[in-house]
Amino acid sequence: MAQATQNQIRANSSQRSLVIRNLVAWAGVVPFLVFVILFLFWPASSLITGSFQNQSGAFTLQNIIDLFTPSIMNAYMLSIQISIVTAIGGGIFGFMLAYAVIQGGLPRWVRTALTTFSGVASNFAGVPLAFAFIATLGHTGFLTALFADKLGIDIYNLGFNLYNFWGLALTYMYFQFPLMVLIMAPALDGLREEWREASENLGASSYQYWRYVALPILWPSLLGSTILLFGNAFGAYATAYALTRTLNVVTVLIGDQISGNVLFNPNLGYALAFGMIVIMAVSIGLYTWLQRRTARWLQ
Amino acid sequence: MAFLELTNIRKQFGQAVAVEDFNLKVDRGEFVSFLGPSGCGKTTTLRMIAGFEIPTVGRVAVDNVDITDKAPNQRNVGMVFQSYALFPNMTVAQNIGFGLRIRRESESAIKERVDEMLALIHLEQKGPSYPSQLSGGQQQRVALARALAIRPQVLLLDEPLSALDAKIRVSLRAEIRAIQRKLGITAIYVTHDQEEALSISDRIVVMSQGHMEQVGTPFEIYNFPQTAFVASFVGTLNTTTAEVVDSARGVLQIDGARLETAEKLDGRQKGDKVTIAIRPERFSFASEQKKANVVDCRIENITFLGSIVRIQVSIGSGKYYMDTFNNPFLELPKIGDKDQVTCSREAVLVLKS
Amino acid sequence: MAPTPNGKVAAVKKKINLWAWFWILLGALYFLVPLYGTFDFSLREKRGVLSLLAYQNVLADPRFRDSFTYSALMALATIVVGLLLIVPTAYWVHLRLPQVRPLIEFITLMPFVVPAIVLVFGLIRIYSGPPLALTNSDPLTNFLLMCGYVILSMPYTYRSVDTGLRAIDVRTLTEAAQSLGAGWFTILFRIIFPNIRAALLSGAFLTFAIVIGEFTLASLLGRPAFGPYLVYMGNNRAYEPAALAIISLALTWAAIGLIQLLSHGRPGQEQVGGVH
Ligand SMILES: Nc1ncnc2c1ncn2[C@@H]1O[C@H](COP(=O)(O)OP(=O)(O)O)[C@@H](O)[C@H]1O
Ligand SMILES: [Mg+2]
Repeated sequence: MAQATQNQIRANSSQRSLVIRNLVAWAGVVPFLVFVILFLFWPASSLITGSFQNQSGAFTLQNIIDLFTPSIMNAYMLSIQISIVTAIGGGIFGFMLAYAVIQGGLPRWVRTALTTFSGVASNFAGVPLAFAFIATLGHTGFLTALFADKLGIDIYNLGFNLYNFWGLALTYMYFQFPLMVLIMAPALDGLREEWREASENLGASSYQYWRYVALPILWPSLLGSTILLFGNAFGAYATAYALTRTLNVVTVLIGDQISGNVLFNPNLGYALAFGMIVIMAVSIGLYTWLQRRTARWLQ
Repeated sequence: MAFLELTNIRKQFGQAVAVEDFNLKVDRGEFVSFLGPSGCGKTTTLRMIAGFEIPTVGRVAVDNVDITDKAPNQRNVGMVFQSYALFPNMTVAQNIGFGLRIRRESESAIKERVDEMLALIHLEQKGPSYPSQLSGGQQQRVALARALAIRPQVLLLDEPLSALDAKIRVSLRAEIRAIQRKLGITAIYVTHDQEEALSISDRIVVMSQGHMEQVGTPFEIYNFPQTAFVASFVGTLNTTTAEVVDSARGVLQIDGARLETAEKLDGRQKGDKVTIAIRPERFSFASEQKKANVVDCRIENITFLGSIVRIQVSIGSGKYYMDTFNNPFLELPKIGDKDQVTCSREAVLVLKS
Repeated sequence: MAPTPNGKVAAVKKKINLWAWFWILLGALYFLVPLYGTFDFSLREKRGVLSLLAYQNVLADPRFRDSFTYSALMALATIVVGLLLIVPTAYWVHLRLPQVRPLIEFITLMPFVVPAIVLVFGLIRIYSGPPLALTNSDPLTNFLLMCGYVILSMPYTYRSVDTGLRAIDVRTLTEAAQSLGAGWFTILFRIIFPNIRAALLSGAFLTFAIVIGEFTLASLLGRPAFGPYLVYMGNNRAYEPAALAIISLALTWAAIGLIQLLSHGRPGQEQVGGVH
């Protein structure tokens, strides 16, 4: 009896020490969690709650309804369009570059150079990037002048405009395709030469190899990087702000709300931000779902 | 008429010669191994048969059709890679059926063939699994089935077992051999493992530095190695230099002893140096009195290897290995003992240098 | 003897090569033309001649120096605080809480769902009124800005630290140090930090590249940083912005170049992305 009780006590105390150990283990990540709650989750969720409140703090759906006015819808559409266009365009171009440098049989230094350039270019964004494109393709920019002087062509007469949708897209592409290069390079490295040889050996043509083997294997990376590029363009503010005041992408609209450049209605601003979070969350959810469905072999 | 014929093959990468003077005729249904150390050109030769490399010079023919220049996907040659090279995005069944799908066979024909192949490799249940869910040995069996599904004329295997652990290596190689026999397919098997080559092949091509050293049955390669390279690469071997004493009667002098060989020493003069080789298992203690080849020795070391006991003896200044079968009633000598060992005249091999 | 029959293969190889060079050339043009254009433009402040006048103007501008110093200090603070927050956490997760690694990874990717503009909006909402009115004082606003930067750079810092930790055997190193009597502080600062130095440095330079020209947070929190200064110049000058773009590029280049140098030959340390 005494023996049993003692065992009982020992078991209890060892269980307790296990709990304590667990608590101690969790304590190690508390500072981090507190920090991200204070400076990320709380602010972000306050926007979400804010978008369901009126100026006096009462619950309302008015802000969400107000999002569906034409000017705001246009801003979302514009943001989504430019993000899709530059994600796909930058994605294809970046993929081609990464593929050329990894599987194209080019000298090693080309690859090193491309990776370094891509590292720089994917970080060379925001205001300076806008300046660079204004200096190059603006009304008096270097290329514009070059075309005018040497070829007698005024590209602005031909319909080009740095300050419209395609100009902004061209500018965004400057940080989009290098990002694609950086993400796809490791994935392409993982594409093993034996897979091509095995498929050739089994009678497959180059097209069939791509169709049945290489693209399906690369698909998760392609999907993931496209979503990354999409988000990259969707959240971009500084570049759009510095380049053009006439193209109202959502980020610019929010910036205007914050700095009070337009009719100041913070709760509508919160709803705008909430909309961005929703769109990002939906696209990441879509990505996860597609990934699950199309790449079962990864699980 | 040979089924697979390699004639005068030579392959250069830039200035570096990977394979040269390669001539080989393989009969239908024969199992031939390429054996040699890493970098000796085995893979390159195999890849020329598969079409991944084009010979710089020479001709590859299968069933009397010259395929030297044919693209890999136009040949009907199955290949099994060292790293399996299974497509990770396809199930086992899809992997096996891939070649048939490319050939636009009907769904039912593909399914039938895939099931047949799965039965052949004893993985009937694994059709819907992905390669990553299989063990290495299972993956390699799937790779084998995938290569065989297209009914290739020739099956090529490039060190298919070297990524697996020892036990599976032994059982899988027996399985590969059994399947090859059953299907009667012509197979070329690349390996750097001499035991594997000896156990699995009809014939072995021993290669070194891009050329063929010797071609022969495992029996010939092991018992009658023709060059010092073959002798040393295949099995354990005692080699030493000897001086010719009497070329007509085959008498040789090594340090500390006089030996007789059954091999012909034609054209060699008294006093010439030759390299001789003796397998450890050909030595034995000189219990019964023989006329020839009884030499004094000293026991240097004894290593217990399971089924055999390897004894190191010194004869003069040279050290030699001697293998005896393990036997619980065996009375082993002690290190430092003086004794006598002997070997038959046929055991003393004279190598081409 | 048969003639060499490999002509066909060589031709195919050539074609692949040409095609690869084509894309590389296109990429190089895309990358270099705007840079050259900007550089060329920045030299044309004096009519008819090339001059460095725009650069002289910029460098002589006290606001340039002030805003740049401000941003550089901000970057340093972000790096220090970010690493002090991330490294112990990542280390601890590797060592004791491997099961929460997916959660931490998920959290560090959240700044992606919440873009800078949204983040700063939220920060302003929370911290510009009671009970935590940080934006009422400059030092506290600076602190808030730095915290925002820590969040923005978190995905990159975490990734490089995590890669660094994966490359060393955290558990064995820790146990070896413990068996020699080392305490946690010693283990972290004398064992772990030095062993993942390259990863820390690459995370640090990337953070630097992100923070130094950052516009969104700084501008909307009203801090006198380099990014807002750039916009100010863009609104008021023609040639100086080009010069500033070149200077920013040189800085980014230096930071990334250092990363490349430090992570040379280490796969998985190529860095990705910034804040736009
Ligand atoms: N694509 C290639 N380019 C240049 N040299 C090669 C190439 N492939 C093989 N070699 C060289 O050819 C020789 C034989 O290689 P290989 O056939 O792979 O040897 P093994 O398979 O016997 O180990 C080696 O020296 C190797 O370096
Ligand atoms: Mg090989």
